[in-house]
Amino acid sequence: MSAPQINISDVASLARLTLTPEETAKFSSQIGQILSHMDSLKQIETGNVPEVTPPAQPNLRKDEPTPSLSLQAVLSNAPAQANDLIVVPKIVE
Amino acid sequence: MSLTHESIATLRRRLASKEIHSRDIVRDLLQQIEAREKTIHAYTHLDREAALAAAEKSDSSLALGGIPIAIKDNLNVLGDPCTCASKILEGYKAPYDATAIARLRQAGAVFLGRTNMDEFAMGSSTENSALGITRNPWDSTRIPGGSSGGSAAAVGGRIALAALGSDTGGSIRQPAALCGCVGLKPTYGRISRYGLVAFASSLDQIGPLTRTVEDSAILLSALAGHDPRDNTTDLRKPESFLSKPDGSVKGLRVGIPKEYFIPGMDAETEAAVRQSADWFKKNGATLVDVSLPHTPSAIAVYYILATAEASANLARFDGVRYGRRATDPRDVLDLYHRTRSEGFGPEVKRRIILGTFVLSAGYTDAYYRKAQKVRGLIRQDFEKAFASCDLLLTPTSPEPAFKLGERTQDPLKMYLADAFTISVNLAGNPALSLPCGFTQANLPIGLQLIGPRFGEEKILQAAHAYEQSHDWHQRLPPA
Repeated sequence: MSAPQINISDVASLARLTLTPEETAKFSSQIGQILSHMDSLKQIETGNVPEVTPPAQPNLRKDEPTPSLSLQAVLSNAPAQANDLIVVPKIVE
Repeated sequence: MSLTHESIATLRRRLASKEIHSRDIVRDLLQQIEAREKTIHAYTHLDREAALAAAEKSDSSLALGGIPIAIKDNLNVLGDPCTCASKILEGYKAPYDATAIARLRQAGAVFLGRTNMDEFAMGSSTENSALGITRNPWDSTRIPGGSSGGSAAAVGGRIALAALGSDTGGSIRQPAALCGCVGLKPTYGRISRYGLVAFASSLDQIGPLTRTVEDSAILLSALAGHDPRDNTTDLRKPESFLSKPDGSVKGLRVGIPKEYFIPGMDAETEAAVRQSADWFKKNGATLVDVSLPHTPSAIAVYYILATAEASANLARFDGVRYGRRATDPRDVLDLYHRTRSEGFGPEVKRRIILGTFVLSAGYTDAYYRKAQKVRGLIRQDFEKAFASCDLLLTPTSPEPAFKLGERTQDPLKMYLADAFTISVNLAGNPALSLPCGFTQANLPIGLQLIGPRFGEEKILQAAHAYEQSHDWHQRLPPA
């Protein structure tokens, strides 16, 4: 089976990226090639093989509050802030 | 002689006996940096005054008291920039120490500077840095490897004693091999990743790049152990990683996986690695032929899983809480789109798109879930191999350092540079690269020793024994 046709602009938009026409053309051909290489996996028999799931987490700790970063430290990197809050464009009309 | 040529092990003894002071080491390093950094460009940030001030105050009675260490630019060091070599983290200053950094700080280490890397650790040549390329100290027309290329070039180029790197698919071992130093990727779960900017969380590990195997063990001891802030870390108390420094390799069963000696690989690399295998045999080890049959699938599996995880991990860079923000956004969507499109470089965009695609509706079964199953087969390969041997011996990279610019237009070819390192991350095992020779053109060649999970001591002992009877690690790059 050949690699699927991938609509780069749609996928980029899902990832909140806007591509230039040059980027779209370049990525389409490069990602096409990469996906063709990935399609080699289809040849591998994995009928009864269990999927590797994210590592089991036996080391869970109790959810107890401990000292953390100060408000000032957390806000220190925010590009825009006022009244101890991060300022962002309006989300709800 | 300049102190920049000494190992951490030697300097620790000399510091403890007050024969030298940390400021002497830092001064010698800064002098070397002055001379070589213009060519190599290993560092993205260097605060000379701060390093000297920290050296002045250092306490030589501590385990790493006064030892300067360079840090890859994707680890948070309180008050330092942490750019990940990306424009999107412009202006960011770390408000906390990563756990690995806190442990080094507690042990008395002095932080020397931040080292260059491929943007967000995505690459094998350090050419994907938004802050300029790094050159190989052995030949400045060649790449240092990547993504921890700055760390490897600094240690190999004798402008750092040791450095931290991170390894998701070979990013410590491959540049260590190409720059002639020792690079260790510990077992998944050995070192806390808290404060490491996440790329692919099921694969990422922090590890040391050093001149010698003993130094690698020294840093691993300082870094290892459980951290409640990274619950993938192992609960066991870390052991001593080089308890028998004069140990031999007699009786050791060394597995030689046939899939790691492939047609088309560099002949000098293959010869050097086979000679290393012969050394083990001559010194009483048994060579065992083993097979890791799913090795050829590792790159495909890796670039599905790593990009899928990256697409999720890098969603946090949206211009809201830190780093770069696009100016005058129309609305919040415009803010996300423009911040990310302006801030990320081409390789990062390519991988985010690929990762988003393999997780998108209709394609998860064919790509993501299929890759997770094949990952299971790759893990089984290692488990089966370790039933008949104690460690595996392979080349680290199929070839020595390639020329700058040679692969930047062909991402798939660039991905193939990681053919011998990637499986180890998928399986979660520890592996170490150490120098095992030089090509005719004086380029370093790396030998990879892979251990069973939590078997760092096995590979460190074996590597140390090999290093003791060779002098590759003492060879100096051209001035």
